[in-house]
Amino acid sequence: MDAEILGLLAGSLVSIGAYSVLIGDNPFSKITENIYMGILGGYIFVTNWDFIQKNAIGKLMNGDLVYIIALVLALMLLGRLKPKYLWVSRYPVVVTVGVGLGMAMRTTVTADFLGQIQATLLPWNSLNNIVMVIGTITAAAYFIFTAQKSGVYKYVNTAGRVFLLCAFGVAYGQTVSFRMELVIGRLVAMLDPRVAMYTYAFILIIAVALAYGYKTKKIEWYSGR
Amino acid sequence: MSITDRLLKLDQRIIYALMFIALAFPILNPVVLPMAIQGYSQDAFDFSDSIPEGSIVIFEGGLGAATYPQGGPGMVVQIYHMLTKGVKCVFFSIGTEQNFWTMTAIETALKKLPAGTPAVNGVDWVHLGYIAGGEAGVGSLVNDIRATIEADYFDTPIDDIPLLEGINDATGFDAVLWWGGSEGSMPYGIRQISVPFGIPITGMCTTNEVPNFSPYISAGQLQGLFGGVRGSAEYEFLLKLPGPALGQAMATNFGGLLWMAMVLLGNILYFVQRMKGES
Repeated sequence: MDAEILGLLAGSLVSIGAYSVLIGDNPFSKITENIYMGILGGYIFVTNWDFIQKNAIGKLMNGDLVYIIALVLALMLLGRLKPKYLWVSRYPVVVTVGVGLGMAMRTTVTADFLGQIQATLLPWNSLNNIVMVIGTITAAAYFIFTAQKSGVYKYVNTAGRVFLLCAFGVAYGQTVSFRMELVIGRLVAMLDPRVAMYTYAFILIIAVALAYGYKTKKIEWYSGR
Repeated sequence: MSITDRLLKLDQRIIYALMFIALAFPILNPVVLPMAIQGYSQDAFDFSDSIPEGSIVIFEGGLGAATYPQGGPGMVVQIYHMLTKGVKCVFFSIGTEQNFWTMTAIETALKKLPAGTPAVNGVDWVHLGYIAGGEAGVGSLVNDIRATIEADYFDTPIDDIPLLEGINDATGFDAVLWWGGSEGSMPYGIRQISVPFGIPITGMCTTNEVPNFSPYISAGQLQGLFGGVRGSAEYEFLLKLPGPALGQAMATNFGGLLWMAMVLLGNILYFVQRMKGES
């Protein structure tokens, strides 16, 4: 059996274990969650350690002393592990937030502010453009909380709410679609003709085990709504 | 209890089972439903297709284990598209897990390439590997590659990579291809590479993030966007390179139809209940 098939089989078993949480919390779903968290945690640690070793410790060993600052700041972060030294970890957090904010802010005004306003200044020559302009202005106006909802503003506020609800509807639809795509991705691998029979067998085994657990009350039955 | 009440209080596990069947059916019995190409995908494809031979693109791979099945096929097609056009690719990832999946996409694309297509590691493409620090990491990389990383994914020192000879910042790149998946990192590419260096950018995000990034397309800051599995399927279709995404897009259609039917049924039953004066 080659490594690819073995991977598909492991993926299939773990996926069924994870999806069994839909029936209710059970030992299979718990085992899967813990395996996933353990593997992911270990992988993230190893990859980051490799990055630090190559790009900070390595450079320091080559005589680039400026990286000592980064390493000291990184070590200070470990102060979070003991409440008494929590304050020590605040300094590297401040530096990280400050650098991140500074780097983002230098182009945020152009990318996220000016560019978006310019994109709204459209000629009123198509329905799309009219909807875009009215939608943007009324939706933004909806968040003027200091104004009384009376006169013209009442209609602007209502129109803004309608546009916002439409946007939420789109976002909801896209989210549902995204969640389905996640399941489809797993199903394609699980129902791969090379492992499909094993997938059916795994489903059967887990279903029988869960049924036995619920019947004997060894696993608590989740009653749903 | 009336039928309306029973249906409205239907155990959610029955709905999950129905959804499972609706999604599995088209995978086991491939069905083709009509598919129109979305404007954003067409724009992204046209932009990618217009990148001239010999250009160098910087390519962020942000797909993880969960999002690779939907974005991976499209990313593979994008790599295939670039390499067959003679465009050189510089890959990197800002996520640890994503770093691995980027390499998987590269390997898959390399296997699909027609014989004789130049695709030498270090010459036609290079994977710089994982870059820590999120947006700050991206900013650092595109401003000074050598100060940010010592070696690539395979531990080859940056100075020994022929493709990066004379390139140390984003001015050496002609386009940005940002396959951010569900990272939400598309604005990093816009803010740190596209805007400051004036380099056009396109890419992919998961379906749920399309509404977040579509304003960037309207503003002309993003050339186009492949959204989720449908975007991947459209790329496969446009490049005439059928792959797994087309089949998955059909399964999404089936699931979507079932979902819409249930939302409609739920609303109708709710109104019926209210008309009867039941709460």
